[in-house]
Amino acid sequence: MHAKSAQSSFRDRTHEFQSIAEQRKKSYSSGSVPNGPSSSSKSEEQRSAVVIQSEFNRRASKIGYGIHQTSQKLAKLAKLAKRTSVFDDPTKEIQELTALIKQDITALNSAVVDLQLLSNSRNESGNISSDTTSHSTTVVDDLKNRLMSTTKEFKEVLTMRTENLKVHENRRQLFSSTTSKDSTNPFVRQRPLAARSAASTSNAPPLPWANGSPSSSQSFSGKQMDGESQPLLQHQQHHEQQKQEMVPLQDSYMQSRAEALQNVESTIHELSSIFNQLATLVSQQGEIAIRIDENMDDTVANVEGAQGALLKYLNSISSNRWLMIKIFFVLIFFLMVFLFFVA
Amino acid sequence: MALNLRQKQTECITRMLNLNQPVNATGTANEEVYKILIYDKFCQNILSPLIRVKDLRKHGVTLYFLIDKDRKPVHDVPAVYFVQPNQANIQRIMADTSRSLYDSFHLNFSSSIPRPLLEDLASGTLSSDSIQRISKVHDQYLEFVTLEDGLFSLAQKSTYVQLNDPSAGDREIEEIVERIVSGLFCVLATLAVVPIIRCPRGGPAEMVASALDQRLRDHLLSKNNLFTEGGSFVSSFQRPILCIFDRNFELAVGIQHDFRYRPLVHDVLGLRLNRLSVQGEKGGMRSYELDSSDPFWVANGSLEFPEVAVEIETQLNKYKKDVDEVNRRTGGTDGAEFDGTDLTGNTKHLMNAVNSLPELTERKQVIDKHTNIATVLLGEIKERLLDSYAKKENDMLVRGSIDRNELLGLLKGKGKKMDKLRFAIMYLISSESINQSEVESVEAALKESEVDTSAFQYVKKLKSLNASMASANSASRNNIVDWAEKIYAVTAGVKNLLSSDRQLALTRTVELLIEGRPNPEIDGYLVFDPRAPKSSSGSSHLRGPFKEAIVFMIGGGNYVEYGSLQELAQRQQPVKHVIYGTTEILTGAEFVEQLALLGHKMGLGTNVAASSH
Repeated sequence: MHAKSAQSSFRDRTHEFQSIAEQRKKSYSSGSVPNGPSSSSKSEEQRSAVVIQSEFNRRASKIGYGIHQTSQKLAKLAKLAKRTSVFDDPTKEIQELTALIKQDITALNSAVVDLQLLSNSRNESGNISSDTTSHSTTVVDDLKNRLMSTTKEFKEVLTMRTENLKVHENRRQLFSSTTSKDSTNPFVRQRPLAARSAASTSNAPPLPWANGSPSSSQSFSGKQMDGESQPLLQHQQHHEQQKQEMVPLQDSYMQSRAEALQNVESTIHELSSIFNQLATLVSQQGEIAIRIDENMDDTVANVEGAQGALLKYLNSISSNRWLMIKIFFVLIFFLMVFLFFVA
Repeated sequence: MALNLRQKQTECITRMLNLNQPVNATGTANEEVYKILIYDKFCQNILSPLIRVKDLRKHGVTLYFLIDKDRKPVHDVPAVYFVQPNQANIQRIMADTSRSLYDSFHLNFSSSIPRPLLEDLASGTLSSDSIQRISKVHDQYLEFVTLEDGLFSLAQKSTYVQLNDPSAGDREIEEIVERIVSGLFCVLATLAVVPIIRCPRGGPAEMVASALDQRLRDHLLSKNNLFTEGGSFVSSFQRPILCIFDRNFELAVGIQHDFRYRPLVHDVLGLRLNRLSVQGEKGGMRSYELDSSDPFWVANGSLEFPEVAVEIETQLNKYKKDVDEVNRRTGGTDGAEFDGTDLTGNTKHLMNAVNSLPELTERKQVIDKHTNIATVLLGEIKERLLDSYAKKENDMLVRGSIDRNELLGLLKGKGKKMDKLRFAIMYLISSESINQSEVESVEAALKESEVDTSAFQYVKKLKSLNASMASANSASRNNIVDWAEKIYAVTAGVKNLLSSDRQLALTRTVELLIEGRPNPEIDGYLVFDPRAPKSSSGSSHLRGPFKEAIVFMIGGGNYVEYGSLQELAQRQQPVKHVIYGTTEILTGAEFVEQLALLGHKMGLGTNVAASSH
């Protein structure tokens, strides 16, 4: 909208306020001496609290700034990933950027955890008001949420990237007329790519199909790509086998086994992402639709009711006092009479 | 330049939360400043329909408090205050600054803070030596509550009673007019338009219109006024028209029973600030939010109730069909062979299903919510015979008379007292001639049911005065200073009560005013143009058809008028925008209570029992 915002529907009265203050100050300073000692003592005890609080604030703002920068880098990465064409793949830049962002996110994560520890320790150390406690808790929660959303965006960018790679591979297959050597080459060529992206997203071994065990969920992006390109490879495999019967059957058997295994892996990873999504859905029901004045009416009614009850009780107590005194005297009287008779 | 009041107010509030610095594109502050928001009761009502806690968090507000609450210090954090400029709030602010609860104070007042209060604040904070904590003082001009895109309310209670009070003095009337003008000024400042003002002659409408005109003129003369940006480049064609009316212009709308969904929910279930509490199906109160983010409410708010029930049914069936479809695609494969391609296909379906889950859940929630509301409404309608009241009142308004037996039968039958009273008053208003014996039998029936008839008497008196004044020449009423009787809008009021095909008189008049063609009905209306120099009167080039209109009703409005004005706006070719505002939004019962209060003040009617409604 109007970024220059010369138009505004509010009025700044600060100058007016300050000019009034100046006038008053002049009239005051001619009169009494301002109460210096009391204000300085007040500021003393506040200073320590302020110091700790400002430490917290400093770190919180640093983390916030870091998150902001990371999301900007992420935007750049997304642009790069989208822009790739078949023959001009800025893979190296993407790799570097991805590694950088991953480092940032892990660093921010640990920083947020530290911040939380700091706020907890400070809350336990006493003489901090309850409002400050809730304020710091809310700040930490907010930072965590933002970090989580940044991580999610990161994951989505990576997914998009691998899909793009897949598409490029398919197009390459279409364009390149391959010989039998190429039948393994696409496979092998894919391996390094997957290895590189897998290595950048996680520290899992680059050739998981060799050891045949499912890797961590973060390498699912690589697996997905492999799983989807399996049918195409299989087709090529059959095509090649017709040409060269001397292709070792053992090799193709192992390959088909590997493909099946990868299918299973990719499915498992898809399922895991689905479950993650479900989990976040469930946990996000928290603050979405709370209104500001939600519990106000109840609270007000309760407080008024409590006040009324207390007043009534006060009345009953005060009105009963004379009664109690009278009863007391009567009891004493009877006690005396009783003692008199017995004694 | 579509007038979207809700959006503009939200933008202003967002900017205020951002410490009055321009908000950048992503909607979050560039530097990470966490702040605390403090408001008073009135401003809480302003904020709650517009901002949720989630939005607050997005703008860095961690805590939010009422100014009266006992608050603890949170050092090193700026605090944003959004309060009304009155003495009590200033005292609280001074107490807070002297205790140094927060690091810096950004004070935002919902309307312009008068100079004496500003001076009080300055001297107070100076004496406690904490003036350096106050970093900013702003006037926000946001003293109105926006409920929907085109509906606002000034939340000023009992204006109708105060304006029509026979014992009210000049000064009190002027105060009320001043308050209304200030609220309207805030609305115009937020929209950043200077409209052409039109109002019927006589009565509070004229007073408010002329006072507003004066205020706008004075304001435009000052150098950096609030309308510079929007005003100078806009031709007269684009300026909206502001029509000010008084409740006495059309009394029936405030009282009648309407059978459309939105007015029903407001009238019967008590919709306040877009929030509703009803008895849930499994017992216990449920609280619902009904505003423009609810698609069903937006689409079906103006349908009659039976149609709404049908619509709910349709939506429910559609939802069930979608759910079955999803189930079929993912779960129903019996004995799935572990085939590679089939497996990926299945998981793809599963992923799609999971992605569509949130949307489905939301749809189900909306359907459940409206089913619950409709069920409760149905119970109330059956119990209070609201459908028969609504139908008979409609007949009365259209035909102008009613069969006597029907009338008495309804009054003597079962039903709540307030409904009977409303029905009787509607009969009074809608009958063209006052048949004395009928009226007496109606009164007797009312007394039988122990209904407090002060409101009835008041309306009767009003109507008889109208009838007697109708014979006199209305133009000769030059002395409008006669506030003891409060009679105005004479002939117009009587005529406008009878309208065919349920079109309100207000809607008809607004339509004529928007078109701007000379018409005998509206020729007597005054024109004020704050931008024109004072000497020129009635410049005709400003009377062309207007694209936008703001309609303001003094004394109380409701959703029936709002709905009918929206219909009018949609009906026009090309589609126009109409914003409707009032001093407060009243249900029929509340308005009749105000009438009863007036009746008591005039000494009419009998006080049957305290709990007559």
